[in-house]
Amino acid sequence: MYRVKVDHASKLANPRLRRFALCLLAAFVLSTVVNRADNMARAADQESIDYERDIQPILQKNCLECHGPRKQESDFRVDLRSKLLRGGDFAEPAVIPGKGNESPLIKFVRGDAPDLIMPPEGNRLSDGEVKRLRAWIDEGAKMPEDSFAALTTDHWSFQPVQRPALPQVAGRTITNPIDAFVLTKLKAAGLKASPEADRATLVRRLYLVMHGLPPTPDEIEQFVADKNEQAYENLVEQVLKSPRYGERWAQHWLDLVRFGETHGFETNRERPNAWHYRDYVIQALNDDKPYDLFIKEQIAGDAIGADAATGFLVAGPYDLVKGQDPMLALTQRQDELADIINTTGTAFLGLTLGCARCHSHKFDPISQRDYYSIQAIFAGVQHADRAISPSKENERALAVATERVATLRRQFQNWMAEHGYRTAVNAAHNVETFPQTQARFVRFTVLATNGGQPCLDELEIFSGDRNVALAEIGAKASCSSELPGYDIHKLQHVNDGKYGNSRSWISNEAGAGWVEIELATTETIDRIEWARDREGRYKDRLATQYKIETAVEPGLWHSLVSSDDRLPYPQDTAISSVSFEGLPDDTAAVGKKLFGELSSAEQTREQLSKREMIYAGTFTQPGPTHRLYRGEPSAPREEVSPDALEVIGTLELERDSPEQQRRVAFANWVADPKNPLTARVMVNRIWQHHFGTGIVDTPSDFGANGTNPSHPELLDWLAAEFVSNDWSIKHIHRLILLSDTFRQANIPSPRAMNIDAGTRLLWRFPSRRLEAEAVRDCVLAVSGALDPRMGGPGFSGFEVEMENVRHYHPKQNFGPDDWRRMIYMTKVRQERDAVFGVFDCPDLSQVMPQRSRSTTPLQALNLFNSQFMLQQAELLAKRLEGERPDGREGQIKLAFWLCFGRDPRLEELAHARELVDRHGMVAMCRALLNANEFLFIP
Amino acid sequence: MRDLNYRGQHLLDRRSFLNDMRFGMSGIALAQLLQADRLLGADIRGDTARTPLRPAIDPANPNAPRASHFAAKAKNVLVIFCAGACSQVDTFDYKPELIARHGQPMPGGEQLLTFQGQQGNLTKSPWEFKPRGESGKMVSELVPHLGELADDMCFIHSLTSKTNTHGPGENFMSTGFTLDGFPSIGAWVTYALGSENQELPAFVAIPDPRGTPQSSVNNWGPGFLPAAFQGTDFNASKPIRNLARPTNVSADTDLATRDFLQRLNERHLKRFPGDTELAARISSYELAAKMQLSVPEVSDISTEPAHVLKMYGADDTENDLKAAFARNCILARRLLEKGVRCVQLFNGSYQTGGEGTSNWDGHKVLHEQYSKHGPVLDQPAAALLKDLKQRGLLSETLVVWCTEFGRMPTFQKGASGRDHNPSGFTGWLAGAGVKAPFTYGATDEFSYKAVEDVSTVYDFHATILHLLGLDHERLTFYHNGIERRLTDVHGNVIADVLA
Repeated sequence: MYRVKVDHASKLANPRLRRFALCLLAAFVLSTVVNRADNMARAADQESIDYERDIQPILQKNCLECHGPRKQESDFRVDLRSKLLRGGDFAEPAVIPGKGNESPLIKFVRGDAPDLIMPPEGNRLSDGEVKRLRAWIDEGAKMPEDSFAALTTDHWSFQPVQRPALPQVAGRTITNPIDAFVLTKLKAAGLKASPEADRATLVRRLYLVMHGLPPTPDEIEQFVADKNEQAYENLVEQVLKSPRYGERWAQHWLDLVRFGETHGFETNRERPNAWHYRDYVIQALNDDKPYDLFIKEQIAGDAIGADAATGFLVAGPYDLVKGQDPMLALTQRQDELADIINTTGTAFLGLTLGCARCHSHKFDPISQRDYYSIQAIFAGVQHADRAISPSKENERALAVATERVATLRRQFQNWMAEHGYRTAVNAAHNVETFPQTQARFVRFTVLATNGGQPCLDELEIFSGDRNVALAEIGAKASCSSELPGYDIHKLQHVNDGKYGNSRSWISNEAGAGWVEIELATTETIDRIEWARDREGRYKDRLATQYKIETAVEPGLWHSLVSSDDRLPYPQDTAISSVSFEGLPDDTAAVGKKLFGELSSAEQTREQLSKREMIYAGTFTQPGPTHRLYRGEPSAPREEVSPDALEVIGTLELERDSPEQQRRVAFANWVADPKNPLTARVMVNRIWQHHFGTGIVDTPSDFGANGTNPSHPELLDWLAAEFVSNDWSIKHIHRLILLSDTFRQANIPSPRAMNIDAGTRLLWRFPSRRLEAEAVRDCVLAVSGALDPRMGGPGFSGFEVEMENVRHYHPKQNFGPDDWRRMIYMTKVRQERDAVFGVFDCPDLSQVMPQRSRSTTPLQALNLFNSQFMLQQAELLAKRLEGERPDGREGQIKLAFWLCFGRDPRLEELAHARELVDRHGMVAMCRALLNANEFLFIP
Repeated sequence: MRDLNYRGQHLLDRRSFLNDMRFGMSGIALAQLLQADRLLGADIRGDTARTPLRPAIDPANPNAPRASHFAAKAKNVLVIFCAGACSQVDTFDYKPELIARHGQPMPGGEQLLTFQGQQGNLTKSPWEFKPRGESGKMVSELVPHLGELADDMCFIHSLTSKTNTHGPGENFMSTGFTLDGFPSIGAWVTYALGSENQELPAFVAIPDPRGTPQSSVNNWGPGFLPAAFQGTDFNASKPIRNLARPTNVSADTDLATRDFLQRLNERHLKRFPGDTELAARISSYELAAKMQLSVPEVSDISTEPAHVLKMYGADDTENDLKAAFARNCILARRLLEKGVRCVQLFNGSYQTGGEGTSNWDGHKVLHEQYSKHGPVLDQPAAALLKDLKQRGLLSETLVVWCTEFGRMPTFQKGASGRDHNPSGFTGWLAGAGVKAPFTYGATDEFSYKAVEDVSTVYDFHATILHLLGLDHERLTFYHNGIERRLTDVHGNVIADVLA
């Protein structure tokens, strides 16, 4: 649309008026309307308003052309009371009965807001007409009721799932219901299914689809040679049981929920505790966790002992930069909640709930009120790490460990006391004696305190009776740091000859610091005395672990004494080091053993007392949630209760329901077997990742703007099967994998291509390129570098520059730490992996229900030229030489088996030999890892 | 496969026919064949309805040139993005009243909380404004070289943004959304139009010599568009990653390896006649090989004559940063000359070394910081515009100058710099299809709020697309249930700025 200023006056006699007149003629006679309206203006003041007589004509004349039965601009019409009260797109009541002055309808016709004047063109309402409308609303806006239209829909996906009967296919016995549905459609289109794929293709397909890794040559040969009638069934079971399955399919789910391990936006800081959610998803899939439970845990796992699962809620980006402007801060919060609502809607329900943020949904039965009701469900969710509450077992184990530490400590201290260890330090006075030593420099280093920065009230160094450390005789003190802002704790007090807290030195480091005295001249010393507070009032800040060193020449330090031969300070949490010097070997051995036991018990206790932090959100009781007119935080309207979509039911929650209860109720509603969307959406996703395209090819939009299912009955049958088998995802996998549809060959036929080039009807298995993660994993698998370690913190594809705003520079060199599966690569928002990112890796800021599959020269450059790939080609070459040391031909064959799962053909072998002879094995490996056959699911 | 125009099945059918003839025909030749009847590919459902116009993408050559929606003057677009929020008050938005009331409080300013907090007094620019060109447009002494070209520019003084934070602000200006993860302008444009040159990336982002901008790659990301449409980032000193043959592989071996790969792939393709995705991968290696030759060539500015280096300031030995930015400007021209569809040139990088040091974010010591940034931008960017003009490229290239948002006419309380201001700021257009000299819209008497012909970033984007012959309401991509646009559900073409 062009921006043109409309000259209202010039539009008066235009064709619109003629259309308007024609429109009215259908129901009214123009002249009557106008005359009646004029007459009634005079009557308005005297008698009460009658809708048909006084109001309808005004609406007819001014509004009905655009907001009537024929046309509903902004989905709004004035001839139905329900619409007047409910509003159109913006779900804003136009009429508030009893409040004429505040009703938007009056504001529009009166011209209160310059950008929204009604009617937008032509004559404005007369003052009398406005007055009359206002009076009518003041009196309650009485008019004939239409039924207050509840939201309804006849769209297919909102109808209950009903298990359809299996179609009969003539001339074939069908064992797998999926085939019955698929074959019926094929027949109707004049197509035939392809014959079963050969076994080598089948096993490769199965592994690539289900694990994202190729089968090993042994696995292929075993299956090909397996004479058992159940060979394929057994293989499917084996594949479903492998933990590689969860690692592959979790990525599909993570795409869908925009999971990332940095915050995104300009700072893009790390989320080091986000990986727990990734592990949760992998585990849930491997365990075949019932899908309804999987949903409930992700929305309200904190209520049912699955803390990491709520990582789902906060898996999206989060803007750490908050400005001072309060309105923009509100908008940021609205964006955060929109991200949660949107993801929940698309992931579980296949609905674009986010569209109803500013106005009621254009295509689906989702009102703006619905949107804010769902916002009230999530209004207490905040982006943050959450400490995970310890389990009962954990608490018990901690109590046992604490007791054990106490016992061992008593034993060890008794042993120390028996073997001449010095007494523990004390705050009021400590004396260190030692053989006469030459010293010019003395350094007292604090290694631990009983709390806070260490304090020394005076450090005295004696040569006989003479304190040679005193400043007044020329000794100079220096230190690591000084507590700022306190005159009474300056360095100078450490050797000023005065005792007590008010003349002491305190460092500026918690539990650490050093102070050094340079004596006026080299002295022979034999005693050092120190204290926290010789006046005895303060006992904190005491150095519990320390060492004292001396030097004659600057920098050439010798250790003099330390806390290692002292009994531990009673409140010390852990004894870090003990000296066993000077004890007979067997005595020392006993002591070391006791000390070892104590240390390990202390470690156990510390481990157990750690409260693990997980980026899974925190929850606080939210204030009221209001519907926001046009989604603007500055325009709050009526308060809403937390609720689900009106068209599928209500949660019956109070406005101030406890936060957790809201999410629990909503999760139960989503996961209710009667919810018509949930099961359909999920079986469609499962189907999609087997065949490349879903039965509905708009997998996150099952609304009216999405596409219809290619096999509607099959979709419903699968959904019914899913729910009645305890929402088992692996059950659906099994059904699909065992079908003839999945097992058929992938060879295109020209005839079928003419009818269905996209293979939507599945007349062959649709071959396709692997996704980025699977490409990388396959490369590592065949080179032999793949590290199968599961779970835990991920590895990074980047060198991170730790500025306030993080910068991610792609790694240049790779080692074994980088060779885990790509699902364990820390997911940095915005920045895609430097080699594989261009293979359509999502950016993790928006949900990605279905990745594009594009082909670009940058992909070719990365795969052909990157250091990562070249290194893998070298590793593969080494592997070949290691496993087939007897000759080139064997090595080439093994390479073909590893990469393609087959022998090279004669011609290929000849070409490969030629290449290897002239350019080396690495060159051939580099080519194989770039080959289409390697990168495609057959 | 999920074809890029998922409802455009007819295209696939036609392509399967083409594929039967594919053997023996190079990917390029096929692309040209497809291009010849490219109109067939467009998904047109009804003539004038506001229905989506999804370009039909040939998977074998996703950046093949495609027809615009309607005839356009601009074929290519250059976006100069000043990162950090370049102040309109100190460059292009002349306000005599601000000068007159220098040092006085801004009416209503006491209550105003902007990004970093409270306001000090109204403060005129430390740089004097002077009339420029025949039009007499007032431009400040901070950018005198650009000022000289005022007659070629169309200023929009009434831009407004939805955010006052840099990251979201950059996102908004580059992608039409404040959130991360949406396709950038360049991605949309190349998705729509492809590129005239198949041997260079269709969309190049040239980061500042100091590094990437604050929203980093999101400024040139593909969002949910296919990866083929993402900007390729390189500049005069930092080449494309993995472009060159690995150093430890000889040219001979490299070629032999390619040959072998080609044979493997062709043999494999024979088993799958008509599979476009397999064929596309084969041609992608051919394209990659061509890029290996053409990109280093276009990036090598050592072939530029001395007078050109001088004009841009690339020979400036006193100011390394300016010289480096000047080399990026020369690279931009060379790319446009070769028919690259979209070039996004950044001036200013992420925040490093303190606020406003590495970009235009002059909160605290504006005069000192802008004294550094002005000269880096001014001569090189002006030379680029002049150079495009004298080579006749400006008649087919749209030049866009923009920044994330504006700055306040006041100094911040207790500081000597300006806070963020999304309520009114300046961008300018030049080149093909643009009315110039021209000034559209205005801010209030101080340059605080846009008051006349208030424009949004959506309007700005709609206008850019229009100049490239694209209807912003019809250029869509279906993602996650929504027919997405650069302009979301907003935007009007600013008709007044069209020539």
